[in-house]
Amino acid sequence: MNTQLLTSRPEVRRRSGGAVNPFRGQHRRRLLRADLLTVLFWASLAGAVALWLADGGMAGFATVAGSFTGLGIVAGLAGMDLVLLMLLLAARIPLIDHTVGHDRALEFHRKLGKPALYLLLAHGILIAIGYGMAEGLDPVSEAVALWVLVPDMWLAYISMLLFIAVVVTSLVAVRRRFPYEFWYAVHLLTYAAVLTALPHQFSVGGLFAEGTWQRWYWLALCIATGAALLYYRVAQPLVATFRHQLTVKRVVRVAPGVVSVEMSGLGLDQLAGSGGRFFIWRFLAPGLWWHPHPFSLSADPVSFDAAGQGTLRITVRNLGGGSAQLASLKPGTRVALEGPYGLFSTAARSRNHVVMVGAGIGITPIRALLESTPFQPGNATVILRGHSESELYLGEEILALCQQRGATLFHLTGSRPAGVRTWLPESSARAGHRLASFDPNVSDADVYVCGPAAWAQSVLQDARAAGVREDQLHYERFDW
Amino acid sequence: MRTRAAVSAVLASGGILIAGWQSGVHIADTSSSVASGAAGTTGATGAKALGTDGSSGTGTTGAAGTTGASAKAVGTYAGPVVQTRFGSVQVQISVRAGKITDVTALQLTDAERKSVQISNRAAPLLRDEVLQAQSADVQTISGATVTSDAYLNSLQAALDAANL
Repeated sequence: MNTQLLTSRPEVRRRSGGAVNPFRGQHRRRLLRADLLTVLFWASLAGAVALWLADGGMAGFATVAGSFTGLGIVAGLAGMDLVLLMLLLAARIPLIDHTVGHDRALEFHRKLGKPALYLLLAHGILIAIGYGMAEGLDPVSEAVALWVLVPDMWLAYISMLLFIAVVVTSLVAVRRRFPYEFWYAVHLLTYAAVLTALPHQFSVGGLFAEGTWQRWYWLALCIATGAALLYYRVAQPLVATFRHQLTVKRVVRVAPGVVSVEMSGLGLDQLAGSGGRFFIWRFLAPGLWWHPHPFSLSADPVSFDAAGQGTLRITVRNLGGGSAQLASLKPGTRVALEGPYGLFSTAARSRNHVVMVGAGIGITPIRALLESTPFQPGNATVILRGHSESELYLGEEILALCQQRGATLFHLTGSRPAGVRTWLPESSARAGHRLASFDPNVSDADVYVCGPAAWAQSVLQDARAAGVREDQLHYERFDW
Repeated sequence: MRTRAAVSAVLASGGILIAGWQSGVHIADTSSSVASGAAGTTGATGAKALGTDGSSGTGTTGAAGTTGASAKAVGTYAGPVVQTRFGSVQVQISVRAGKITDVTALQLTDAERKSVQISNRAAPLLRDEVLQAQSADVQTISGATVTSDAYLNSLQAALDAANL
């Protein structure tokens, strides 16, 4: 199969059928894990309520007041369970990362924010009503009485306020108005919110009361969540940072506003195959060290000696904030890293055939993936999209890789047609091209997409229309 | 695959909830039978006291039920039932020669398991304090404010009934 560089001209290619699919096993296992995680998620919620029922929770429903209180307790239990599950989703646990990818886990984490808050609010309101009815007080007086009289309840009120603050600042409309750092700082308050919620669960709620099944469930869940956060978000990054001893080797300007940062370090052979996956980088220079940057590798780690010494590379566009300063990084700067994360790698493959579509700076992980993921010559198609040829970053490297590995390459340049939702440039869209025009076998391929969110959605839509199933689609979200 | 996940999730959650509910029904039954058992013994000593439930201020009708032939000058006075958010509290005192000789809690906060724990901790302490002070003018137990307040309210009414 010869390699061609075509500019938006559809190409017809024969299918190299009959080959065994080496990815079938890993794909089946990944789907099984995904289903297992879904079941665990719901079972955990059901378990929280079921254990309360098992400890005699139903007895309260004999009276109206008791029913309000009972429902309030159920809402509180489900809310707490959801909060802990959200923390687990954000804990970068390898099982979750290898199954759905860190970005998808965070997407799910975001979706759970509002339901969790609503449950916690319902918890407070229903309990105030239920307790109030038992004492002949209105809910507001009861809420005040709880605050004043019942130990630890004032902490629970603070916890509620913190949860509201965390969720509100995470709403898309609100988040856009503030810098990332502000959102991050408020989001850290989640830990304070959980910690201030715990005392009243001990003393008033009796979740941890001795002799109950709930005690063991909640102890296990809380300890596991805390341990997972500490281990995967604190300990592992520290270990990785010390193990790999990364320092900046040089900074190369790739295009206006785009730089490649090459880093050298030890033990990089352990990171082989993580091309396309992302790390969270901290460049330990004055004014930069506290700013975490999530960037994908734009090349698989290369040239190890016996000690695993070698280099790896990220390619970064100046997106404002801290990434502007990366261009002025001095060689020798130490680098802390967390990762690799994400499923933008061979681990997500399910088919022999692979189609990679990248736009703008989203091209860089495509380059690393193209370099490392296995395919037979002729079984891969690479589509690069940009406003102009100069925006097809690393274009020459990618062309060389395509030639070497036998992949078909398309360059799609030009602006989008006005008023039409398409991922293609005007000329191509007008000619009626679709994703299937570039690769007729797309329906039986893994499709990797990386680029700006709206553009990527458009590509995914096209792929679905071409008959690509959801589990064949792999895309990385760039926005936080 | 999505359907497989959905079906398994529904089955698993449903099963867990039903299992929890089933074992809970059993506990709810036993706890209510314990409660009714307690009510039964109350009835034996001071049947009238139960009739005065709710009318909080008028604990005066607390029955002077003599508990047996052995205790000649012993009077028992039950206070009214005081409702709290954690359950009902009712206190009975035994009086001999104008002194409080014993304080018994006929009902204690028991709404949730934790309340039972708190009650079990607070009741003996309150009893000791009351016997020492010979009045309801004692400190509440920290961590059991609601139970203590209700306990002492019921007690005060019982003391009033006993003209102490």
